[in-house]
Amino acid sequence: MTRSTVYLRRSVTGKLVHASLWDTVTDGHLKLWSTTWRPAMAAHCAGRSPLQDKPEDSHWDWQAKIDHWRPLLAYHSFAIVCARELQGLMLAQDIMSARLPGQAGKAMVYVEYLATAPWNRSEISGTPRYQGVGTVLMASAIQLSLDLGYKGRIALHALSAAEGFYRDRCGMIDMGPDSNYHDLRYFEMTEVQAAVFRQERGTK
Amino acid sequence: MIAGSWAVCYTILMKANDKKTMTLNLTAQEMAVLEELTSAKGLSKTGVMRLALRMLQTVDSKVRMGCKVMVDDEHTHEKRELVFL
Repeated sequence: MTRSTVYLRRSVTGKLVHASLWDTVTDGHLKLWSTTWRPAMAAHCAGRSPLQDKPEDSHWDWQAKIDHWRPLLAYHSFAIVCARELQGLMLAQDIMSARLPGQAGKAMVYVEYLATAPWNRSEISGTPRYQGVGTVLMASAIQLSLDLGYKGRIALHALSAAEGFYRDRCGMIDMGPDSNYHDLRYFEMTEVQAAVFRQERGTK
Repeated sequence: MIAGSWAVCYTILMKANDKKTMTLNLTAQEMAVLEELTSAKGLSKTGVMRLALRMLQTVDSKVRMGCKVMVDDEHTHEKRELVFL
């Protein structure tokens, strides 16, 4: 496994800090998830109605997801750690084909799950501890796509609260609700959009 | 701690390159299919073979768990089972 140095913004100071991006979610990361992230999410959700107030990913069991997909070559997991705390997790796979005209049928990386820790979300903690976790994870998905020869093509189905992030911040193309996937909106990024994303964020 | 603009420079490394080399002998027909897939998938021949391996492992693992692999025609919505022995 490989660890890369990335940067997150500490909300309180507004300054950038070093963080570690791991290209494999380890048992250590999952232990951090189960002992810190999961209890924080459970505390936030306690007493809230399921459909309105809980974050859409509050039920995601990262231990089960990683355990299920870990043996398969097609699946790739990522973790971000900063100040010995888990800040974000992502699970992606590389066997799906693009749908967007112009790149339909071509291989791409599909982001199955992406989440930032509860303490990095304003709707949970008020002031997020760190900003930029989702952006770094998206940059990782693009890098994976490049490494596989997929030229930066990536795609995902977005939870409703995250649609704006993928559309406006990441510059992905919104292809509308997918009736075959819980009516979640489907987003795709082209080779050109991936290059723009990397250039704007200074990814090498 | 680093002060600076939001557009920061970072390098993302991926898994160490521990590839091994093999020679693959294909029939003319198999090579034609491979070349057709390189165009369709936008990949090199090696890329297509690696993709095929990952897809086969994913499907095989599902079948071993007792799952069925279904193909859904998006126009007719007809579902068919792909049988893997």
